[in-house]
Amino acid sequence: MNEWWDLWAQWLRPSAGLPTVQWSLLLACAALVGHLLQRYSGLPKIVGYSLVGTLAGWAGFGGVLWPLQGMGLFLLEFGVSLVLFDAGGRIALRWFRHNPMVLVQSLLEAALSALLVYQLLLWLGQSVPVAAALAVVAMAASPTVLTRVVHECHAGGPVTERAITLSTLSTLYALALATAGAAWVRRPDASALDALAAVLVVLGVSIASALTLAVLLRAALRLMSPGSESGALFLLSLVAALSALAAHLGGSAPLAALLAGMIVKHRWPRPWAWQRQLGPVLSLVTMLMFVLVSCVAAQAPWSMAVATLVLALLGARLLAKACGVGLGHIGSGTSARQALWLGAAMTPLSAVALLIASQLVLALPESGPALAAIALPAILLMELVGAVLVTWALYRAGEGIWPWGRTQRQTKGNAP
Amino acid sequence: MSLEPFHASEALSLGVELELQLLNTHDYDLAPYAADMLRLMQKIPLPGSVVPEMTNSMIEVSTGICHSSAEVLAQLTPIRDALVACADKLNIAVAGGGTHPFQQWHERRIYDKPRFQELSQLYGYLSKQFTIFGQHVHIGCPSADEALLMLHRMSRFIPHCIALSASSPFVQGQDTQFDSARLNSVFAFPLSGRAPCLLTWDEFGQYFEKMTRTGVVKSMKDFYWDIRPKPEFGTIEIRVFDTPLSIERAAALAGFVQALAAWFLAEQPFVPQEDDYLVYTYNRFQACRFGLDAVYVDPASGAHLPLREHLLHTLERIAVHGSAYGTQAALDHLAREVAQGQNDARWLRQRQQHEQQLAEVSRQAALRFRGQAVG
Repeated sequence: MNEWWDLWAQWLRPSAGLPTVQWSLLLACAALVGHLLQRYSGLPKIVGYSLVGTLAGWAGFGGVLWPLQGMGLFLLEFGVSLVLFDAGGRIALRWFRHNPMVLVQSLLEAALSALLVYQLLLWLGQSVPVAAALAVVAMAASPTVLTRVVHECHAGGPVTERAITLSTLSTLYALALATAGAAWVRRPDASALDALAAVLVVLGVSIASALTLAVLLRAALRLMSPGSESGALFLLSLVAALSALAAHLGGSAPLAALLAGMIVKHRWPRPWAWQRQLGPVLSLVTMLMFVLVSCVAAQAPWSMAVATLVLALLGARLLAKACGVGLGHIGSGTSARQALWLGAAMTPLSAVALLIASQLVLALPESGPALAAIALPAILLMELVGAVLVTWALYRAGEGIWPWGRTQRQTKGNAP
Repeated sequence: MSLEPFHASEALSLGVELELQLLNTHDYDLAPYAADMLRLMQKIPLPGSVVPEMTNSMIEVSTGICHSSAEVLAQLTPIRDALVACADKLNIAVAGGGTHPFQQWHERRIYDKPRFQELSQLYGYLSKQFTIFGQHVHIGCPSADEALLMLHRMSRFIPHCIALSASSPFVQGQDTQFDSARLNSVFAFPLSGRAPCLLTWDEFGQYFEKMTRTGVVKSMKDFYWDIRPKPEFGTIEIRVFDTPLSIERAAALAGFVQALAAWFLAEQPFVPQEDDYLVYTYNRFQACRFGLDAVYVDPASGAHLPLREHLLHTLERIAVHGSAYGTQAALDHLAREVAQGQNDARWLRQRQQHEQQLAEVSRQAALRFRGQAVG
């Protein structure tokens, strides 16, 4: 494919460079495929975006380096940060005071996922660093996939809201662990105290960045309406700046954005509707993210051994998440049936997992190739299959719209 | 189908139903949590009942039989507290108000129950637009004829009830300029508005039979009148109230109805007649549109006077009859608010003027329902 691009590059001299043209055409193709796929199969558009990215990745579409760096890393961090800021802003900490079982449910599913995947991979002969890193990746569910599917199938209700909360919390744990873990293993010769200091610095910078973002946003919202276009653009620009700066400052942009969302929600519980103002911009960023993730993930080589490991990992993760959510649902206000669909909605892996994997690959140069060989196919598979599973789970929970008709929650009621 | 016999009940006993909004705590739009709320509420022993409504973002609570507005409040308080506790557990909010300020009717979902599906088939989009929230007050009547007499006497005071309870100025994100826009949604239904002026149960039975013979009506539930008899309870049911933003106001409105009814029984102040209804729709419109600032046309004299003035006069007149039922505090509270021109619709507009965001107004309304001071 590169030869074909080279040939084209000989006579085409676009003002913004050939990669810009390539990516623009790829995104146009993704938009078209996403639309057609949804129109004729009812599947979420993001499946179409991921399929286009996958095909591009398999065809050797260049421009994105692995482990992630440069513009690819920035765009992914920016997109993930936006999604996580919004997801963090949905989490009301006071909920956990009134319903601590939600927190128990979250800790159970995340811890079980990590433990089961870790033990399984050790049993399958993987090294401790690879098993540990993949265990952290397996913890994170994908708020990115979930929020897009929810948006597309107009879902709403207890399973939807709780799935977003639990996936955000699991992402928080995974990001914190990965960020701290990467800081720790990057200093193999340091004393435990020094390594701990490095961990505290990276987490501290993330928290300080989150506080700064929250305070700046709050200050701006004194002057601008929270639902205004200006307010939304202000937020967008701040998150972009954070994404560009966080790594240089020694922190994690997605972690900071997620924490900032939670702080804003906790300290200033006013509702805001910045997503409505940013509709098409957010859709573009999301599409870019899905194409980018699948394009990168598809570049990993497949083999029977890899396939076995990937399927084992995903099976263990699915089981652990279902058990964690199921065990924790007791006393948490949901029914067993809702817990079942909630477990299914927690299965996708996507951009956050790719960022975590990339971060850990950079921190573990020796184990990096083995880690990437399993993580990338797993992410690719669960981005595609996960989106379908979420759609199905939300439909079965009675909260989303299936392409062949609307669903209704069944209950008794009064006439008007 | 013949009309069910009217079961006698204790005169001036009270029952209150409140239709409430279930909101998410993210953007404070309506949230489909009725089934989950019901499941949690069933575990808590409470007076009255909790049932779902036409769409799955609504819930209806009701008291048992009460004898005073204080008892209504005493029953509504634990129900409200339980609702709030269950809502906290589900991370949602519960609010009063006659309409949700910015919900989109087409996003609502009808319950998959035969009667609801039937209504949805018959009424089309009207059934989804019926995502509106009212307070119903039942007042006990010892006999069927007395119930009909009470019903038609009460009709003269429908504008008063509307203006006192109005809490639905916003619809689909817009200020409608009505204090109670909710009743416009009810008016779209056939068989809404006023009941026919029949003063004996025999006559009413004949009317009901004729209507059922046409096939238009199957039961009393098919009448969406502003006031309708409820033979199985032995009450008349006043249905024009918007759900207030607080249970205290809901109890005060029940006290107002009880004091009015006590006055009717004690003094038999006038005999209702068909001509009373000449100005009924006009008065109703005025109250919906202008709330406490409406003009009231006296059905007997045809005199035009400010509704607020007539309300204050009425409150003063019924106070002595209501005092035997402990309505004094409720009536005093209402009189103070009427004098200031304050109702829930005005409060909602004031909050919107201050906040410039209807979602925030909904959040503050939910806080007010919890009993927290706002604004």
